[in-house]
Amino acid sequence: MELNAISIGFVVFTIFTLGGGIGVVTTRNLFQGTIWLMVSLFGVAGYFVLLSAPFLAAVQILVYIGAIAILITFAVMLTRSVTRIKTRYIRLVPSLLASLALFLILLLGVTMPIFGGVSPEHAPATVASTRDLGAALVDENGYVVPFLLASVLLTGAMIGAIFIARDDTA
Amino acid sequence: MTILEFGPVSALLVISVALALIIANISRVMGPQRPTYRKSVPYESGMKPIGPATRRLPIKFYLVAVLFIIFDIEVIFFLPWAVSMRDLGVYGLTVMAVFTLILIVGFIYEWKKGGLEWE
Amino acid sequence: MFESPTIAEFVTQSNLASTLPGTLLVAWTLLLVLVDLFAGDEREHWTPLGACLGLGVSFVANLFVYAPAADQQTALYGMFIADAFTGFLNIVILVATLLAVLMSRDYLMRAGIHRGEYYILTLLSSAGAMFMVAANDLIVVFVALELLSIPLYILAAFRSIKNDGGELALKSEESGMKYFILGAFSSAFLVFGAALVYGASGTTNIPQILEVAPAVVDAASSATFYLVVGTALLIVGLGFKVAVVPFHMWTPDVYEGAPTPVTALMSVTAKIGGFAALLRILVTALSVLLLVDGGVAAWQTTISIIAALTLVLGNFVAISQRNLKRMLAYSSIAHAGYIMVALAAAGTAGSADSATQGALVYILAYMFTNLGAFAVVMTIERVDGGGGNIDDITGLARSRPLLAMAMTIFMLSLTGIPLTAGFVGKFMVFAAAVQAGLVGLAVIGVLTSVVSAFYYMRVVVNMYLRDSSGELLPALETVYVRWAINIALAGTLIFGIFYPLASNLVSMVSIA
Repeated sequence: MELNAISIGFVVFTIFTLGGGIGVVTTRNLFQGTIWLMVSLFGVAGYFVLLSAPFLAAVQILVYIGAIAILITFAVMLTRSVTRIKTRYIRLVPSLLASLALFLILLLGVTMPIFGGVSPEHAPATVASTRDLGAALVDENGYVVPFLLASVLLTGAMIGAIFIARDDTA
Repeated sequence: MTILEFGPVSALLVISVALALIIANISRVMGPQRPTYRKSVPYESGMKPIGPATRRLPIKFYLVAVLFIIFDIEVIFFLPWAVSMRDLGVYGLTVMAVFTLILIVGFIYEWKKGGLEWE
Repeated sequence: MFESPTIAEFVTQSNLASTLPGTLLVAWTLLLVLVDLFAGDEREHWTPLGACLGLGVSFVANLFVYAPAADQQTALYGMFIADAFTGFLNIVILVATLLAVLMSRDYLMRAGIHRGEYYILTLLSSAGAMFMVAANDLIVVFVALELLSIPLYILAAFRSIKNDGGELALKSEESGMKYFILGAFSSAFLVFGAALVYGASGTTNIPQILEVAPAVVDAASSATFYLVVGTALLIVGLGFKVAVVPFHMWTPDVYEGAPTPVTALMSVTAKIGGFAALLRILVTALSVLLLVDGGVAAWQTTISIIAALTLVLGNFVAISQRNLKRMLAYSSIAHAGYIMVALAAAGTAGSADSATQGALVYILAYMFTNLGAFAVVMTIERVDGGGGNIDDITGLARSRPLLAMAMTIFMLSLTGIPLTAGFVGKFMVFAAAVQAGLVGLAVIGVLTSVVSAFYYMRVVVNMYLRDSSGELLPALETVYVRWAINIALAGTLIFGIFYPLASNLVSMVSIA
């Protein structure tokens, strides 16, 4: 791998993503786990930047680090005494083996020529900007159906969330 | 758009994170530390502390957080549309109007059911 | 640069009319939200009625839109497909929802949890199912699947809103929570699979994947690996939704804990949505994914193994169940296995159409029969949760002869006895399997049907041949539930006795 800004960024963000992930599964403290999750999600946002999708990076930070992590923090603080998990993580060896096996399968499948040679795929020269994304969302040839369906979905989720969370006063 | 355009942003990120870490830890590094038991217990107006310092939050916070996520996602949908609004014309406006109209029904429900009230 | 069409151009060019059944239902539901909010005390009457009317409007629209039904037309430039497959399954979904709504009012009144939100969420979920059967793009599949699932999570936990700490409220809460976590988990698989398929083919559009896939395989590059893994993950994700072995673990707990009408609804619409997406993705898009020569799709063996496991496990575990809802849960796993047999048969080139038609007829028969069986179970359930065991229906034939008769017919149809709809469905599925060269799978299907007779007939034996402990069951159901049972019974018998009717209805269906 040649040493340029992108490859350095890739290494840095991989350290963030994987390190954060390891932090999430190893810490005993749920709140610290949330912080580690934020670190991991930040690394993913970095990937989006590397992939020339700055808007998605902003979405990643706004929605995942900004909103989802807050939600998890609240959820942790709603519970009584799980800020310190007492039980030991007993299935360390099997889960380690399972994830290693999965990693090896994926690694071999992607890099080894099982179905033929590795084709070096190059990113397309044109990069979709936020402007193109906006056009695609409402474009009749694009994503207008899932776009409008998403609004129905959000409305349903909102009704469901309010219904299930508020005190029942009929 | 190249990756190098993100240089200033990453510099800002690095500096702000470093600054936060420095401020948070400078007193620990530079100040003298002579802990005693009395100094280490949480301060509760001179009383001996009872129970853990972490309290449970009311469930209302959770509803606020969930609704915040939903509105956050709505904003995410609005943003790219707003960037290219002039190109999309009346048609784009209509599609977005339908989108908003559907969401307003959910908003009316939320308002009417007291999802926005704290009590 | 984007050229903005005028609204009139958009409506005509995009063939918006063919989306009418789904969009009308959504629009009606949103109106119903407002009606329920502002109707005051009268909402107890208006909201269920409005829900039924909305389903009726959508049904009529569906009849008009799909009247020609022969030609396949896409709407909105390939995102949405309006063919005979969509039209047929729309009708099945609408009838299933209508039956569930008819059952619900009674149940909710008895449990003291009658709220308008119930009907709104039910209708939204069904609209999601309708969009899912019409989805022609992996992104629409995903969004529609979420629209189908998220209301069902809430509905499964519906009893927990009356927070009296009772066992039923807790079970319902557990049911909703389990369903939600497993559902979110399976959605992640689905999205990851869709992403890999997109990575390999460069498109999420199902017909375009069909065009691109052979070139991807021929190129013999690592993209084939992404395509295969993506297909596997899509099968896993949708397999959770339709509850086939080994992705079935959540089903008994969720089905037992959820309110009975919700169980009835989710055992039908969620499966329809999942199988429709599986058929569209596997049969239409990925049937060209041939790794060995001989015209058999690469996923056929996997699907066959899943189908065989599902048939064996679902039917054998159902034998040991005492709780009727748990028994029907395992039976619904088994029935998913029969539809899986049809799906496996669709992997053989040339028999895709007959297998798809078999799956559709099976779904139709299963819908009527299963909803009817759940409606009968609901009538004998007590508010406190008792009365749902197999011993509680002992002597039902004496206390409620007509109800027992209806239940008998539903059990016969679930077993697949001739003159019931279940037989027609099973016959078409097994015929398709044999035609596709999957004789072994068909044999497993027939044998497990014989096994299933054991636990279905035990219900009948309990009702007719064993003496009741004395107390006669009072009539708990209202006229709405009776209508639900009547419609289900009529469907089961009409499609069973006039057996060419069902196959004629689906004769124009072709998705390959």
